[in-house]
Amino acid sequence: MMSVLVAHAGRLMAVRSKLVLLAAAALFAGCSANPIYKTTGAVLAGYSEGEATPYVLQMSDPEMACALGEGIDPLLYSFSRINDAPDTTGSLLMLLAANCMEYKAWEAELAYLRADYEGNVPVAKDARERSKRLYALTAERRLLAFRRAMAAYDFDPSKEPLECPFLFSEQDEITFLLGLLTGMQAVVNDANSGARAGIPRNIAPQAERAATCVDNEKVGGLPNAVRALVWLLLPDTRPELSPDPWRVLENSSATGVKAGIRASLAVEAVAAETFGRPDVLADVIRRFAEAESTIDVWDEYRLVDTIAGHVIRFSSDKYWTAEYGYRTPQTFFGKMSPERNTENVETMSLDDLL
Amino acid sequence: MISKSLTALTLAALAPLASAQTVKMCVFDVIGANGDMYNMVKDFALEMKSHGVDFDLKPYTDEGVAVGDFNAGQCDAVAATDLRTRPFNRFTGSVSAVGALPTYDDLETLLATLAQPKATPLMKQDGYEVLGIVPIGAGYLFVNDRSMDTAGELAGKRMATLDYQKDAIHMVNFVKATVVPSDITNFAGKFNNGSVDTAYAPAFAYEALELYKGLGEKGGIVNYPLAQLTVQIIARDDVLDGETAQAARQVAWNMYPQAMNLISKQEEAIPDEKWIRIPEKDIQGYQEMFRQNRIEMRDGLNGAPDVYHPKMLSLLSKIRCASNPSASECTSENRE
Repeated sequence: MMSVLVAHAGRLMAVRSKLVLLAAAALFAGCSANPIYKTTGAVLAGYSEGEATPYVLQMSDPEMACALGEGIDPLLYSFSRINDAPDTTGSLLMLLAANCMEYKAWEAELAYLRADYEGNVPVAKDARERSKRLYALTAERRLLAFRRAMAAYDFDPSKEPLECPFLFSEQDEITFLLGLLTGMQAVVNDANSGARAGIPRNIAPQAERAATCVDNEKVGGLPNAVRALVWLLLPDTRPELSPDPWRVLENSSATGVKAGIRASLAVEAVAAETFGRPDVLADVIRRFAEAESTIDVWDEYRLVDTIAGHVIRFSSDKYWTAEYGYRTPQTFFGKMSPERNTENVETMSLDDLL
Repeated sequence: MISKSLTALTLAALAPLASAQTVKMCVFDVIGANGDMYNMVKDFALEMKSHGVDFDLKPYTDEGVAVGDFNAGQCDAVAATDLRTRPFNRFTGSVSAVGALPTYDDLETLLATLAQPKATPLMKQDGYEVLGIVPIGAGYLFVNDRSMDTAGELAGKRMATLDYQKDAIHMVNFVKATVVPSDITNFAGKFNNGSVDTAYAPAFAYEALELYKGLGEKGGIVNYPLAQLTVQIIARDDVLDGETAQAARQVAWNMYPQAMNLISKQEEAIPDEKWIRIPEKDIQGYQEMFRQNRIEMRDGLNGAPDVYHPKMLSLLSKIRCASNPSASECTSENRE
């Protein structure tokens, strides 16, 4: 009797262990075989594009958004092993993740400028090296974001003549355009890293052509701002009879303020720094600061406007740190010097009290 | 009693204590302050701070304007390609003599030699001093048809030529090609839209200026350095004392590995199949062709412009013969 029981129990054990083996085999034989993963991936991708992306784009906290990018991107994009790569959301997540790295690079650059101002060469060199490493990582992330954005819309940026992608919604247009802008930023970051990331420099002329695929007015003048920046970088790309690129930039910035999305002002500031135009830089920072009290920010894309604000503030901080050794005090944002105009301030005579 | 404040402006911060000597530098980079060269000059400037010099950099995307502003006294120093700085120092301006430095190893020997304190007298000319030389890559010939792989094939072809580069114009005329006057901002467009058949540029231009478009399916890049392009920092003679100027040259020389790293990346970005490799026996012929032309452009013979400094050509010849002693030029009667 005992032996029968033992034999039965042994068979049960054998069956159970076979089942466990089967389950393990199903689990490890290849994730693509697991329908739950496939479904989860599809649900996550759909949810991200339909709900999470619009939610994040209306946030006003770029630091939290960047943390989301860094945290979620590897999870979401890991589903590209099972399903089609979720490139639309993946480009935005990587864009946000790149911002995280850039914020660190900015801090390192300000540390370099501060030490340089103080004449502390070893500290300045150390901070500059740190900023170069961080800019290289930023550039790599941005290249990835650019490539995903292009892949998301089946767009080959090197193809000529240009074949514009199908952009069905406003969100598509913005995602595609931000992808182009991110590609351009990757080139700038790479240069500031000492070309460590090896970003292809032809992204700039490619972005210039692709920017014509997006309605300029609709997206706050950003497409024209991107184009004008490239015209300045590569005068060959400038179409005949096109207006002066600086005028286009200023006009795009004004369009941006009207549309409630000031990304064009950030592009104008980068152009001013790149081409050594402190007059334009001072003016664009002033215009940005002035618009703070009047602008009606485009709610759905508040994050883009806020990130642009960070770029402008960093431009201002760089200038202040190089000139005065510290970043822009809040009440001086919009100004390029710590001088206060007190001409019209009245004072009382102290004669009777002395 | 109420009175208006007498001081119109209140300073919220004091200017930094001036501890270092400030030197304004106009810096050329095709893509301005976010360019690779400008960033390298930033590193140079930072290093020079420990030698007591505070370089105040200003970016220029047009080197003609950068040099113009330097001449007009708007800056105390200028960083531009040797094609533009040649008038300030004919000796170092001859580093880019045609075909004179066929390898980067030879270039390294040259720049190490010039960074020595002994070279100081050669760094000065007519009130100007060279504060550093940094390579930006060899200039290569880009052709829209790979069949143009000999100098003879260039006859009758249209070549985008920098209109201020007298030696290049002479060479284009020598191979009986047609000079199409161009500048840095438009030569790539001319090559890409087919209005010229050939152009010359460092590898940097392949990607950044999309020269692959001009190459098309049939074109290629001749894998032979036509000239070694450099960026040179020139200052007015009285800006830095002798010791600091020598320190600056040493700092610039220390940046050689960084510059070469950048150049290697740019050259590696060109797909292997785009390079046109010319046979060794042809190379020997070209080296002699370039040599004869350099001599002409040293002496201003046969209508050639006299642009090259004899001492530099002699030094370059020594370097070539040290690395390749069996070359025929090394036993030639008219050695440079």
